[in-house]
Amino acid sequence: MTVKWLMHWQPKPGATLSTQILAEACQCVESIGGQKDGRWRSMLTFYKPMQRDPSVPVEHPRDFLGLALQEQPSKYYFILRPNRIVVEADASIQAIMEKLQSYKARVTLNFEGFQYKLGDFQVRIGKCVPSTSEALRGIMMEVEYLPLSSIEKSRLVLEEFFDIWKESISKKSLPGHFVPIESNFTDYGLQDRYSSQHTAVQYAACMAQLIAAVRA
Amino acid sequence: MLCCGVHLIESTRHCKFLEILQMECVVQGIIETQHVDALEILLQGLCGVPKEQVRIHELCLKSGPNLGVVPSEVRLLCDLVPSMPSWTVRHVGGSLRGPGAEQLSVLVRSVVESKVSSNVLRFFYGLGYKLDHEILKVGFAFNFHRGSQIAVSVTSAHKMPKLHATEDAVPITPNIHLVEITSPATAENYNEVVASVTSFCEYLAPLLHLSKPGASTGTVPSAAAAAAALMSNSVNRLL
Repeated sequence: MTVKWLMHWQPKPGATLSTQILAEACQCVESIGGQKDGRWRSMLTFYKPMQRDPSVPVEHPRDFLGLALQEQPSKYYFILRPNRIVVEADASIQAIMEKLQSYKARVTLNFEGFQYKLGDFQVRIGKCVPSTSEALRGIMMEVEYLPLSSIEKSRLVLEEFFDIWKESISKKSLPGHFVPIESNFTDYGLQDRYSSQHTAVQYAACMAQLIAAVRA
Repeated sequence: MLCCGVHLIESTRHCKFLEILQMECVVQGIIETQHVDALEILLQGLCGVPKEQVRIHELCLKSGPNLGVVPSEVRLLCDLVPSMPSWTVRHVGGSLRGPGAEQLSVLVRSVVESKVSSNVLRFFYGLGYKLDHEILKVGFAFNFHRGSQIAVSVTSAHKMPKLHATEDAVPITPNIHLVEITSPATAENYNEVVASVTSFCEYLAPLLHLSKPGASTGTVPSAAAAAAALMSNSVNRLL
């Protein structure tokens, strides 16, 4: 049982991202009672189509996302945002995609950092970096409420947690703030009972937000 | 196509995913529907495990125009036996080739499977794949261990009068059932697996001849007599 909220770091206009923000956010979790509980990592991969003739217009999407979550090591998730589809598969689906040679895994982004235990919550804070470099692309956090699996029933308690978190982080006077990821799960056919597919949809939305933040 | 022996083992060192190494040994044959009961009795005696019902909706998808370096094909299998149907993506890759592979009576090919959520068809349509054809396989199977993990399926292929109308499916060849024997293997152990599959096939020889897929040798002349003997033995045992 669990319900998870993802949040991304929205820098103030003109402010730059730095690992110092990550360090301050980690300190902030510890200041409200968070106990470090190891490292975590999720991997998000952009799959791009391979075309026989690049000059010919195509019907297929420009890309879709693949996601590997630490808490589900035997599973893999695909998110096709234009069609609002999230697919859960065994990890071997990656080998099938490679064999089909119709889409290629182009860029992989690692979301990695520390996780904390905080009563009924589990908090993960991490940076988003390409797998091939250390260039910081974003900062995000996962807040997981462990006792419930209903999104609606856990909304209030997660909102309260977020209010406490906002208040704590504001004392650091950092150049930006954390924003909860807005995901319309019903568009993807997902129900109120939280699952890893909900997490995958949030990662896809988070990725879009991080790209938008970098462009801004 | 994969190359038998050294090349296959060499190529596995560079594989990114272990699942790529997954292979299967496979043989197929056909039997007249009237002898299927006898085959079931024989298999029941040989395997010593309960038979499992088979009702698989198989959808073959092919990549759309201009998608992919080469045209590609993938199969979606929907198991209709459980109350909640389960979906699997199956990719059949190249088979072993070379003089060594030709001498084998069993086809060894790479296969990757992945269990997936039920929206996988929409996903592949979204990626630009098109439905090439669909069939419903109805019958039974035995899964057991005899030297290696062996699966024997005896099925009748059905076609659907309308798209996805599995309830209205009708047999394509009512008088013929397909028998398929498969066993999972790896690049390291396929010789032993081939041996165990070949050995098991010999038990079925009076009823049907099994060969590499695409090289069917038809029905066996001795099938009627063997089936009659099996049915008679079975009745005597019951009495």
